Amino acid sequence: MSQSKRGSSQNRRSQMVVDDDDEGSFTQPSLSQVQRARDNFTTVQVDRKVAEVVQFILIKDQRKIPIRRTDIVKHVMKEYRSLYLDIMKRADRTFEQVFGLKLVEIDSKNHIYILTNRLEQSLEEPISMCPANPKTGLLFVILGIIFMKGGSVKETLVWNTLKKLRVDVGERHEDFGDVKKTISEEFVRQKYLEYVRIPHTEPLEFEFRWGQRAESEVSKLKMLQFIAELHDQEPQSWTQQYREATSAENTQR
Amino acid sequence: MSRPMGESHKRFLQTMMSNGIISTSQAKALHRHCCETHGAHFAPDRLEEFIDVINTNLQPMFMHIRKGTSEEDGAQHYALVNMAETDITRMSSDYADNELELFRKTMDLILDSENGTASSTDLLNCADRLQTKKMKKKETEHVLNKFVQDKWLNEKQGEYTLSTRCIIEMEQYIRSVYPDLVRMCHVCHNIVLQGQVCENPDCGIKIHYYCVARYFKGRINPHCPSCNDFWAHEIPEIQPESQSQSSSTRESAAPTPSTSSTRRSRRH
Amino acid sequence: MSESKRKTSRSIQEEAANGAVGRSRPERSADTGEEDEGAGPSGIHEEDDDPAQRREIRSQYRDLINSVQQNREDMLNPANNKLFDVLEEANKLFANVRQAREAALDAQLLVLATDLGREKASQLHAEGSAFDPSAFAEHLLSFMGLNRLEEEEDGDANLGGYMPPDAWQRLSKKAQYCFKTAPSFHYMFGSFLAEPPPPRQRVERQRKAPSKEAKRIMPTQLKKMEESHQEATEKEVERILGCLRSYFADDPQSPILYYEFVVDPNSFSRTVENIFHTSFLIRDGLARVYLNSNKLPCIAPVEEGELEPGGANARHQCVISISPATWKEIIEAFDIKEALIPSPKVLSQEG
Repeated sequence: MSQSKRGSSQNRRSQMVVDDDDEGSFTQPSLSQVQRARDNFTTVQVDRKVAEVVQFILIKDQRKIPIRRTDIVKHVMKEYRSLYLDIMKRADRTFEQVFGLKLVEIDSKNHIYILTNRLEQSLEEPISMCPANPKTGLLFVILGIIFMKGGSVKETLVWNTLKKLRVDVGERHEDFGDVKKTISEEFVRQKYLEYVRIPHTEPLEFEFRWGQRAESEVSKLKMLQFIAELHDQEPQSWTQQYREATSAENTQR
Repeated sequence: MSRPMGESHKRFLQTMMSNGIISTSQAKALHRHCCETHGAHFAPDRLEEFIDVINTNLQPMFMHIRKGTSEEDGAQHYALVNMAETDITRMSSDYADNELELFRKTMDLILDSENGTASSTDLLNCADRLQTKKMKKKETEHVLNKFVQDKWLNEKQGEYTLSTRCIIEMEQYIRSVYPDLVRMCHVCHNIVLQGQVCENPDCGIKIHYYCVARYFKGRINPHCPSCNDFWAHEIPEIQPESQSQSSSTRESAAPTPSTSSTRRSRRH
Repeated sequence: MSESKRKTSRSIQEEAANGAVGRSRPERSADTGEEDEGAGPSGIHEEDDDPAQRREIRSQYRDLINSVQQNREDMLNPANNKLFDVLEEANKLFANVRQAREAALDAQLLVLATDLGREKASQLHAEGSAFDPSAFAEHLLSFMGLNRLEEEEDGDANLGGYMPPDAWQRLSKKAQYCFKTAPSFHYMFGSFLAEPPPPRQRVERQRKAPSKEAKRIMPTQLKKMEESHQEATEKEVERILGCLRSYFADDPQSPILYYEFVVDPNSFSRTVENIFHTSFLIRDGLARVYLNSNKLPCIAPVEEGELEPGGANARHQCVISISPATWKEIIEAFDIKEALIPSPKVLSQEG
């Protein structure tokens, strides 16, 4: 019930966002400006800019912090800013054609980008394409609970569940360091999670939701399949979640 | 125009990005796996051509898959390297400024040493004198550990050396920044950090351990290939060239280099 | 608006605001008790305004609210009827409610209960199974390789068992198939400005390169504890112990300053070696270091039999570092003219 409500408000938000594209320090260049810039710079110059943008995005992705348009403009594009759309389109093409990656604008209002993978991990790799990082397991647990509980959970539920998994928020953990910080700061900055105050609560209570990165990087269906496997059940036995996961799978592609 | 990359090339490149460096035998297995996964034609003897396609496409970004030799055992490896130093590349967020300064100090010490090593005591000591921001001993130990985990340094019994990945990526840098200190191996003519030096002060040529092992193999009375003086070093054994093994043991040893031996020597 | 009415409505708001905290019940009822006396509401029947009874009702409401808040997951569990029990309880309490303050608490409890009820209903009415985080955690523990047999009888049955160190790694390996994470590119070259090292370094090297003897005196790699080295170390440690004992025997009354003992004013590397070897004397309990009245470290041999039992517990560790600069400072400060520990024979022959 609350789930469907939240879903629809999210849709409304993203639709609204598409309309006002002009916010931020970046002003949309006029068509004539774009045309003039296209004439001004040689192909070689523009090619180099595209490569620099690709390089910049790769570097910014090292810590999985989403990349803002303002930073791309400020640090790389500079006097090429009127060609922003051309250059970004070509950078995305490079990511696809050379790296097998995808440049995703996760927030079209503030123009925030992340990289996701177009290639699926295959089983039985001779060397892993993605060496296991224990934090992935932690994220899986949290995102899994949120998804299975309909899209948002109180933080206490997350802390309690982690405690059962021998991860104590108040203590340093071998793999995760400061657990609370890793979850409510690092994962939030990376946009895997949203950590928001529940209104009208006294004392303050917070809840977790999926962040925008999780929405485009994590497959709900695969997650549900793994959770079902753990429970030794069919994924279909969680009817609502199964429905959401399959429809998400279709829209994500 | 460059030949376009297929899905198999992209998978190979992504694996290189995640791992940084792989041994030749791993590269061969990966080549096969990538081709098979995407139904591309697999020609076992065409690995170099396969990599060339990737490299041509990487060129605009100043990235490159480069081949190089391990100083430990002479085994060949492939590393994905960055080839440019620009305002953009300096924005790398992997390490803080003082961590990078510590890394450069480590390189200074290694280049300045005879056998290509820097002792942990010396490194711990230079952490107090960092210009960017001083580091505590514990912190320094942690950062050095991180360099080992990220495969930029190797550590053995409190001695740090430059890793194969580091040498492959930094060779040009080392040649240009340390022109007076850098040495070339008399046998293979590549850069040499870890090796033996001729004891004759007028000669002083340097040879990799593994080149020494091969060069003097079976000779009872080894003499310097340059000055013909007696080669006053123990001749190392030739390492079995099971490359995948050597790199996998290094990987598994990396995460928790024991500090107990270093502690003991510094304890007072 | 009459004075009393305003007062009442204000305190309802206060209650509503404070009620959710509802943890420090005894204090709260104490200070509301004071207010009660002042409130002296007009137009309310005597029997409806028994402060003691009202306090009792409020306290019971708060207990109830508390228990609902703290056992939220329990309340939601489809397997029990606790939420219903709570409402029954509230109904009983409400039968005695006469005034707005108590009614406000009742309303607060109802809001909570409706919230939970809605959530519980959505669970029950959802087709298919409900998701139980506790069961999820149990399944995860099994997958991560929890060994439940070990330490199971330890009080807290919930947190017993042994988790293997690679537990999270194991989960990640499987979980990462749900993620379409892009691999990232890491490099060292280009992450800092290429600058030549300080020139001082090169001068030093040129200076020391020609002298072979100088090279020999450089501290032998202290970290290498290979067999042959180990033996050499032991010998050197014994030799230094001999030195220490003979200095001590010469004049048992005056303390031997630690730095005077280990510092060789002619060689930094010998100093480092001395510090290294001396540390073994202390570790093995053959010598002790203490501070004299000037807070300067002194060293003395430990007589046989003097070794205190359980000494390991009483011992402290500390790390000292020494650089050529601090070495020079020490020589100056202590005015050290000669080495108390003579160089080992091999070296003195060569030099």
